[in-house]
Amino acid sequence: MGVLDQFFKKKDLEITEDMVREALKVIIDPDLDKDIVSLGFVRNLKIDRGAVEFEVNLTTPACPVKEKFKSEAEAAVKSIPGVESVHVIMTATTKGQTKSPQTANSLGKVANIILVASGKGGVGKSTSAVNLAYGLSSAGSKVGLLDADIHGPSIPMMTGVKNPTQMNGDLVLPPIKDNIKMISISMFSGTDQAAIMRGPMASSMVKNFVTQVDWGELDYLVIDCPPGTGDIHLSLAQIAPATGVVIVTSPQDVAVIDAKKAIHMYSTLQIPILGIIETMSYFEVENKKYYLFGEGGGVKLAESYSLPLLGQIPLEVQVSESSDKGSPVVLQAGKASAAYRNFSGNVAREVSILHATRGESLSSFSLKWRGA
Amino acid sequence: MRSYIGVKEIYQSDEKHLGITWTDGAESKLDVVELRRKCPCASCVDERTGERILKPDSVANTVRPLQIDSVGRYACVIGFNDGHNTGIYSFKYLRQLSGIS
Ligand SMILES: Nc1ncnc2c1ncn2[C@@H]1O[C@H](COP(=O)(O)OP(=O)(O)OP(=O)(O)O)[C@@H](O)[C@H]1O
Ligand SMILES: [Mg+2]
Ligand SMILES: [Zn+2]
Repeated sequence: MGVLDQFFKKKDLEITEDMVREALKVIIDPDLDKDIVSLGFVRNLKIDRGAVEFEVNLTTPACPVKEKFKSEAEAAVKSIPGVESVHVIMTATTKGQTKSPQTANSLGKVANIILVASGKGGVGKSTSAVNLAYGLSSAGSKVGLLDADIHGPSIPMMTGVKNPTQMNGDLVLPPIKDNIKMISISMFSGTDQAAIMRGPMASSMVKNFVTQVDWGELDYLVIDCPPGTGDIHLSLAQIAPATGVVIVTSPQDVAVIDAKKAIHMYSTLQIPILGIIETMSYFEVENKKYYLFGEGGGVKLAESYSLPLLGQIPLEVQVSESSDKGSPVVLQAGKASAAYRNFSGNVAREVSILHATRGESLSSFSLKWRGA
Repeated sequence: MRSYIGVKEIYQSDEKHLGITWTDGAESKLDVVELRRKCPCASCVDERTGERILKPDSVANTVRPLQIDSVGRYACVIGFNDGHNTGIYSFKYLRQLSGIS
């Protein structure tokens, strides 16, 4: 090869980091409306002649557009002349928030606490909490599940998790079932005893219980809250600083009215509302939907507060049967399962948006009018 | 695509105007009496037809908010001194009322 040939060849093949970054700027995160380079997602860029390798580091392993980003990134870089191979590694660093010193040992390494709450009981809150935990976990996140429903703990039954057997110093190590760390308040007290506990006693029990578990490192800790809007919610909010809360409602008016109360309570507590999930939305037979509990109560609720509708879950026998068997529906095939998977992706996405937009706007405000 | 436009600043701009600076830089100045007349709650607007039930004349020109509180991430609730406090004003609605998309 002559000197000139070599020169041209080299010039042809010279792929710079800038070129790769420029090419990747066409990929826009639909949620944040910015390109993935400006968002700082592209890391560890390595160029070895025609071979390009880099990481796309997302804000959650449960990102619903993960595969789309990957193939778009590959295609964008492949289109640069001279690029022969592209290796995209998808990673995620879940952004978290600070914790109170009181819970440094128990919750110190938990990136995000997600509350699952409802105003009314029996609307599918525990089912949603369990399927959210399984959904996030199957997408690759490190997940914990805490059953704080002192009046009706249900996670042991829904998942088949056994009582804890190990301690780390003073703290209880949560048992692991299906890769998820789980604790139920029923493991700390007789269920019967818990059911009759009220007011301050119940509150202090929740406090103790939250601070006495060593959760270790988690991307998400999902908490199944007791229904309603009472003291116990205040103590839970104080002790476990939540990233956000998911409001569960069925389409019935009575459930929606109570869901509104929950929205207002969590707003007063300055806990961001991640969105609404409507459960038992309809019953489907032969592709026809029957709205047994009225149509779109949760949808309208989300609209009137301008909150994201995180999911609509159809009524399916499979949902309750799989709960009774200790194997959540999200692990199986079917429409309710797909709806729950979609829901958990949406929750992860809202948490990411929350972190990405933090500081840009007032997270809450209260303005008193002068001279009224 | 959803919009994540939030409130950067909210203040009483004068005796009867609410001022909002949005995160995209847009500014709103809203007449609080008009806000009361345009309350979006179910007793002021027919949920089915979207028809306004509340007669504008029935709202006195002297009506004022007592307090404005954020609710959720994209709305606020306004409590008025005529006792009406059921209106949830989404940021989207407030921007619409002030002619911003
Ligand atoms: N999509 C669904 N299809 C069919 N059954 C469902 C569905 N969602 C929940 N269920 C059933 O409804 C019942 C109530 O659900 P769940 O226990 O999740 O509600 P909850 O809000 O946690 O109730 P509680 O207030 O008692 O804690 C359960 O038997 C559950 O299996
Ligand atoms: Mg429950
Ligand atoms: Zn009204």
